[in-house]
Amino acid sequence: MHLSNLDALTAAAALVAVWMCGVTRLQCLFWGLALQTAGIAAVTAMVGMERHQSSYLLLALVVALAKAVAIPSFLTRTSDRVGAPKDRGVLLAPPLPLFAGCGALAMGFFLTESVAGHQAAHPGAAGMAVSLLLIGMLLMLTRRLAISQVVGFLVLENGIFLYALTQTHGMPLMVEMGVVLDLLVAVMVSGLLIFRLNSSFEHIDVSKLRRLRH
Amino acid sequence: MTPAMLLVVGAANLLLVPAFLAGVMRKVKALMQGRTGSPVLQPFFDLAKLWRKGETVSETATWVFTWAPRVFLAANVLVAILVPWSGVALMGGLPYAADYVYVLYLMGLGRFFSLLGALDTGSAFGGLGASREATLSVLVEPIVLLSLGALALQSGSTDLSTLFSGPVTPLVAVLSGFALLIAALGELSRMPVDDPTTHLELTMIHEAMILEYSGRGLAQIEAAVWVRACVFFGLASQALLRAWPGFENLGGLAQYGLGLAGLFLVGGLVAVAEGLLVKLNWRRVPHFLAFGIALGLLSALVAAARG
Repeated sequence: MHLSNLDALTAAAALVAVWMCGVTRLQCLFWGLALQTAGIAAVTAMVGMERHQSSYLLLALVVALAKAVAIPSFLTRTSDRVGAPKDRGVLLAPPLPLFAGCGALAMGFFLTESVAGHQAAHPGAAGMAVSLLLIGMLLMLTRRLAISQVVGFLVLENGIFLYALTQTHGMPLMVEMGVVLDLLVAVMVSGLLIFRLNSSFEHIDVSKLRRLRH
Repeated sequence: MTPAMLLVVGAANLLLVPAFLAGVMRKVKALMQGRTGSPVLQPFFDLAKLWRKGETVSETATWVFTWAPRVFLAANVLVAILVPWSGVALMGGLPYAADYVYVLYLMGLGRFFSLLGALDTGSAFGGLGASREATLSVLVEPIVLLSLGALALQSGSTDLSTLFSGPVTPLVAVLSGFALLIAALGELSRMPVDDPTTHLELTMIHEAMILEYSGRGLAQIEAAVWVRACVFFGLASQALLRAWPGFENLGGLAQYGLGLAGLFLVGGLVAVAEGLLVKLNWRRVPHFLAFGIALGLLSALVAAARG
């Protein structure tokens, strides 16, 4: 069977997500996020070309600028300021989330048929979107530092975005723009929160935050 | 091509390419470090020099010490004859009876004897190197098994020559190719896993094992290691070449030429990477090889789904 370009791109994005499950260096995590989001922006542009709607190209541009450039560089700055280069998993030892990520990808792959949207043009992308969602959740669950949980959340959001993009007949441009803007604000707020965490506890290790009062 | 010609080409291929690849890799690495480096044909001279030299054998060593290099070399040469690492085995379209699991066992046999040889003299370095090599091989074997298994699923046969002659989904080829490349780095103890030129006993893996060998024994081990490097890099490049749609429709000679080019390209790139990377902490090596296992798993998954 031959993969279409769009399917191959979504599969590549999901593969990058699996790789992100295995890395511990924060900088690699941010690079993975940027790469994956750039892939999803390219998918957006391709869907726009297919449907002959120029608004998708604008959306792709905004996604690329905001989610693939602005957010990773903001997170890089935050992690530099906080001084946390590495993150060790809290629930699972480092290679194990990698295999769990493979499992999530397999699940998405084999469930493609049952999760694909009604008469969607690209049913193959649905499975990858679902596996991105699962992998995002996995990252949020297994990571120790607050900043990599933010990355997990962004991967999860990428999955939702990809699903909505390929499986529905398209959202209004305003709604999508609003979502991207919300995301930008959410990341800014979480960055602030990470700064505050760091200044009051001198670490951003979530597993150590157990009591409400210090 | 007649069987006799094929035999001649295959023999020349097996005798010349491995040492030449080793020389090229040394040269590239020297250039990366700003040195002129030894001539590309230096491995041949090294081999001739070692063959002429006398051998020192420890008084406590048994027959295992002298036989281990021979078995190691024989197993690796046998593997190199069976595995189509340069495409020469595919040229004549001869049917082979080489199951890929059998080849894995042959590699295991060679490795077992090299471990025994390292342990036989009872030196501390040999034991240390052998224990590390055994750990690595446990981690490398599933990668090779999974990635070749994915290709076998696609072609519907576990025979190595059939496995590499049918059409393959490009995604499977790429995933298997990179998995095999990571396996090669682990199995040959090259840069991110181990520095093959280091002589600091704390970091050595393979070098610690052969520390007791000299003369002909060392020559046999060196030759076996070069042959094994060819087999592993060749498997990776052959799998990666399959990602190019239409490769299997090319003529035998073109496939062989591209296979050799791919082999030297992979070897050269590994040497370049050795100039740029730093060695991983030994405790982090399993983590690195886990990426290879994950790639192999994904490859097998895609192959199983696309049948």
